[in-house]
Amino acid sequence: MLPISYGTAIIVFCIGLYTILSKRNLFKTVIGLSLMEGGVLMLITSSGYVPGGVPALLPFAGGEPVNPLPHSFTLTAIVIGAADVALALAFIIKIHRRYGTVDIDKIRGLRG
Amino acid sequence: MKSPRNLQRLGALALSLALGWWLWQGVTISPFQGITGPAARYIHGTARDTGAANVVAAILFDYRGFDTLGEASVIYTTVCGVALLFAKRRYRRSSHGLSFIVKRSMALLVPFILLYASSIIVMGHLSPGGGFQGGSVMATVTILFCVIYGSSFEAARVSPKVKETIESSGALLFVLIGLVGLVTGGAFLTNIAAGFPRGTMGQLFSGGTIPLLNIAVGMKVGAGLSTLFYSMVKILEDPTESSPPEV
Amino acid sequence: MSITFFAFLAAFLIVTALTASEARDMLSAVIALSVFGILMAIIFVILQAPDVALTQAIINSGLVTSLFLVAYSQTRKRGDDPDRENDR
Repeated sequence: MLPISYGTAIIVFCIGLYTILSKRNLFKTVIGLSLMEGGVLMLITSSGYVPGGVPALLPFAGGEPVNPLPHSFTLTAIVIGAADVALALAFIIKIHRRYGTVDIDKIRGLRG
Repeated sequence: MKSPRNLQRLGALALSLALGWWLWQGVTISPFQGITGPAARYIHGTARDTGAANVVAAILFDYRGFDTLGEASVIYTTVCGVALLFAKRRYRRSSHGLSFIVKRSMALLVPFILLYASSIIVMGHLSPGGGFQGGSVMATVTILFCVIYGSSFEAARVSPKVKETIESSGALLFVLIGLVGLVTGGAFLTNIAAGFPRGTMGQLFSGGTIPLLNIAVGMKVGAGLSTLFYSMVKILEDPTESSPPEV
Repeated sequence: MSITFFAFLAAFLIVTALTASEARDMLSAVIALSVFGILMAIIFVILQAPDVALTQAIINSGLVTSLFLVAYSQTRKRGDDPDRENDR
């Protein structure tokens, strides 16, 4: 189960990286950022998984708990990621008001 | 036009595949050797040190409470940034919302959603949940208001200034609870050692400062994310519509 | 939890990620991102992280999707169509 989880996280991360590098639409860039964030969160959470573990709620009924430290990291990272996406989208709206397009090549051409 | 574009795509694909292969090598060589280090201390010491049943909440608000304060201030900074970007525009009515049936159904549902959010926040030290999750549910309720009643409904009843006040008072509550630890001679955000009652594990009033910090973070996250959404909705206005929305 | 079900979820997650990355229509991409968030929440539950799953389900399906839709409707209002200049 863990190799599948790690592999999925890495594949999702690479899909996000490919999206950021190859797409020219700014919305696609933010979507790629979200995908990369999802891959990283999944990797961190998988690293805390113990085979046959139970959730880290006292008293641990029925076995050893999983590692709660990565969970507390990812929990705050998700909320901050949503705030980051909001800031990026706000910048996209501002760029669209200024340049009238969300295509990154056109924006580059306009500036130069 | 076509060939450099494809070349760029090919380069991106090659880079992604190379990075994926490299990451996979790194993942597969690291073996799993039990829970050690700080995590083991957190798991075994939570009942004694904090009295909370949820180990994740204990880590977030007791062992690493200062980190949580920093992360909450990141949300505050983002809200300030978005509100600053759209500072000059004002709320106007954007739409009349959905039909009467949907509005009445929403009015029946809202108390239960708010009850769910409050229970997530208040029971954060006993069950999965806490300030971050409950605050997000509260923010989602305001988004539902915007979708169903039109964007001017919620802004007319809960003004942005009230939301800013709630968010700031959440941050202030967090810092004040932390300062109690300093006053009693401990470190910042000291929990049990500063005289807060530990209580019985599993009861509602247990865990020292953790429920209070959950409420503070819930206020902060709920008001902050709601302000983020409404700062962006503000610019959705359509000046051509003139008649007021019926509620 | 059977490993077949987990593998199915992982494959579906990759498919939704590819859809969010490659869809021409921006609305389809945003909805695929929402489904991606829900699948991530299910995977977090299987990985025994209920706190993280709760956060992910609320934020990445509700909040981020609505933010994307607000920004998309705002940028589409100005005449040109972002769908057309997505891939060329």
